[in-house]
Amino acid sequence: MDPRAPVGTRSVTVAVDAMGGDHAPGEIVRGVAMLSLEAPHIYTLLVGDGEAIGAVLSTVRHDPERIAVHHAPEAVKMWEKPAEALKEHPQASILVAAQLVADGAADALVSAGNTGASVLACARTWRKIPGVHRAALASVYPTEIRRGEKDDPFSLILDVGATLDVTAEDLVAFAIMGSAYAARVSKNPRPRVALLSNGAEAGKGPPEIVEAHRLLQEATELNFVGNVEGVDIPRGTADVVVCSGFVGNVVIKMLEGVSETIVRLGHYASKEKILWRAGLALLSSGISRLKEVTDWEQYGGAPVLGFDKLFIKAHGRSRARAIANAAKVAAKAVQAGLAEDIESALKSFHSRRAA
Amino acid sequence: MAREDKDKRRDKDRRKPVAPGGPSLLAAQTPAVVTPPPRHVYRWDLDKTYLKTEFDTLKQLLRSAFEGAAAKQSVPGASALLRELRAGGGARICFISGSPRQMRRVLTQKLRLDGVEFDEFILKPNLRNMLTGRFRAMREQVGYKLPALLAGRSGLPPETRETCFGDDAEADGFIYSLYGDVIAGRVKRRLLEEILERAGAYEDDAQRAVTLAESIASGEAVQRIFIHLDRRSPTSRFDRYGARLVPVFNYFQAAMVMFEDEQLTAPAVVRVALEMVDRFGYTVEALRNSLQDLLRRGRLRRTTARALAAELTEGGIPQLGALPSARELLLSFATRVRQLGDVPSMQIPIDVPIDYLAALEADLPRKGKKRTDIAPPL
Repeated sequence: MDPRAPVGTRSVTVAVDAMGGDHAPGEIVRGVAMLSLEAPHIYTLLVGDGEAIGAVLSTVRHDPERIAVHHAPEAVKMWEKPAEALKEHPQASILVAAQLVADGAADALVSAGNTGASVLACARTWRKIPGVHRAALASVYPTEIRRGEKDDPFSLILDVGATLDVTAEDLVAFAIMGSAYAARVSKNPRPRVALLSNGAEAGKGPPEIVEAHRLLQEATELNFVGNVEGVDIPRGTADVVVCSGFVGNVVIKMLEGVSETIVRLGHYASKEKILWRAGLALLSSGISRLKEVTDWEQYGGAPVLGFDKLFIKAHGRSRARAIANAAKVAAKAVQAGLAEDIESALKSFHSRRAA
Repeated sequence: MAREDKDKRRDKDRRKPVAPGGPSLLAAQTPAVVTPPPRHVYRWDLDKTYLKTEFDTLKQLLRSAFEGAAAKQSVPGASALLRELRAGGGARICFISGSPRQMRRVLTQKLRLDGVEFDEFILKPNLRNMLTGRFRAMREQVGYKLPALLAGRSGLPPETRETCFGDDAEADGFIYSLYGDVIAGRVKRRLLEEILERAGAYEDDAQRAVTLAESIASGEAVQRIFIHLDRRSPTSRFDRYGARLVPVFNYFQAAMVMFEDEQLTAPAVVRVALEMVDRFGYTVEALRNSLQDLLRRGRLRRTTARALAAELTEGGIPQLGALPSARELLLSFATRVRQLGDVPSMQIPIDVPIDYLAALEADLPRKGKKRTDIAPPL
């Protein structure tokens, strides 16, 4: 173990797709450089154009003892169609990075690139956890209530776009995976799990939600609290909110839109009247705190759950801080044995059902 | 009584011709015993180059000043590298530091504890500077180090080569490059005077530097300058100093470059790595990443990495300590080399005449000005 690593931590290697994202490779490499100085127990494997990566590294403070570069000559662009792009670019950084994780050269993957291509690259190279039919993309959202050992102000919503059409079994698997993630990463020992529906009653919602509700009530591994409505998400009634990728994606985009509109309204108000501006100035510290809590750069990225390895999808607009935080989250989940936890929880659920 | 003992000891020290740790700055110039000139001179800075010293805060400064020799930590691999350089034969090892002379006993004791032999040990007369009101000299380095280096050089034949070791905390890259170019005759008197004046050197120090510069036999003496990146400074900060200066993140990297320079043997490189692993908890991952970093930066040729591996395979790797088996180790290192693919290494800085006045502004800005070539905070 590295003597500079915090006591009790084992070193983890995170593969980072250096070419993915709106600000790649500059901000991605800077994020890794930042990470190398902040977290001595995390090694990174930067995958991408070796020349471009080297050029950025030479201009920033970093610790090369913590960074390795794996040259990949191609990249998938943000606008490319996933399947076609991977076929066209077999040496694309995201595909090479996923393969390196599959081969054991790294423990987890972080990318801010094309979401579809990233998930597809993982699906092609990694093994699905037994009992998981479809992967889920999870996202965190700030809530009124704090939770867990770390006083985490976020609830986890999954799936937010990986699987549009789901079955009741898929929703149960999402619930188990989300619960394990919240328990390990937010250090919340018994997270409250809920299904997102159009009413709190068990019979509300489409058939797969009703069936999932029935199955989840039997799942003693989980702290299932029933159905919640959209309004309950920002309130923080549940720590893990489960839904289909279609619904989750609509919800998360709407929540993002509301946040952005509030910010715009604030700007408008400050320009419109001096009195409003003065009011906003008085509230400035509170607004800053709110911005800090809701700033997606602080919590890194969204985990893709369901594979035997962990993939953290960072926001396409990620800058250095977000990439460093995404890699920290990935390392934390690996150290906590997230994949093993999910596998054992699913095994226990299915064997009890079979019995 | 204690004071009398100290005085007696000081008098005894004065009588020593070229004693390690001799008190006089110029003591090394007048050896009493005629010895053959050294084949190679290795000049080392102390704080942050050999010793892991923290003095960014007053608390750290005080702790560093009062801690005993056993409590002092060396930079991983530094003592092993110095022992290997000494073992090569014909080497003169000289330390020059900005630490006050009052720290001589504890510092030399630390080197002895580490099994490091040395020939010169020069410290800054900070007490004298303070008592004589030369406060600027307490902080300023060019006016102190350049004449001290030149004094150490005088009397040596032109063919004696030198390797200098410094760090990125102050201006070692600037001073060692200037030192090398002064000996090579590339810095003319007028320019040297201007540099010293702009660096804030006192007139007598500047005059001594100029006099010494003119008395030294000219030649390409300084072969290599290593800058230990204690602060993890961007490597591009040192591009202005050309290919002779190699910024290194650890002494395993320095050892590999010295293997390429034919200053060290392959087993010696391994022994440096071993010290880093055994005494300082370095991982194989950190070492192989360090190798890849050097190759990527074009500071080590791939053929050298292959030659090092071949020599170790043929000659057998010495006792491996905490490292995995030799075969496993070489395969693991080879993976990192392969991962670079066919990407050409970065262009190493071109050797053009150094613009010392611009470098001075960048590396040693005058009061009120900020360093210009440090990358913006992340």
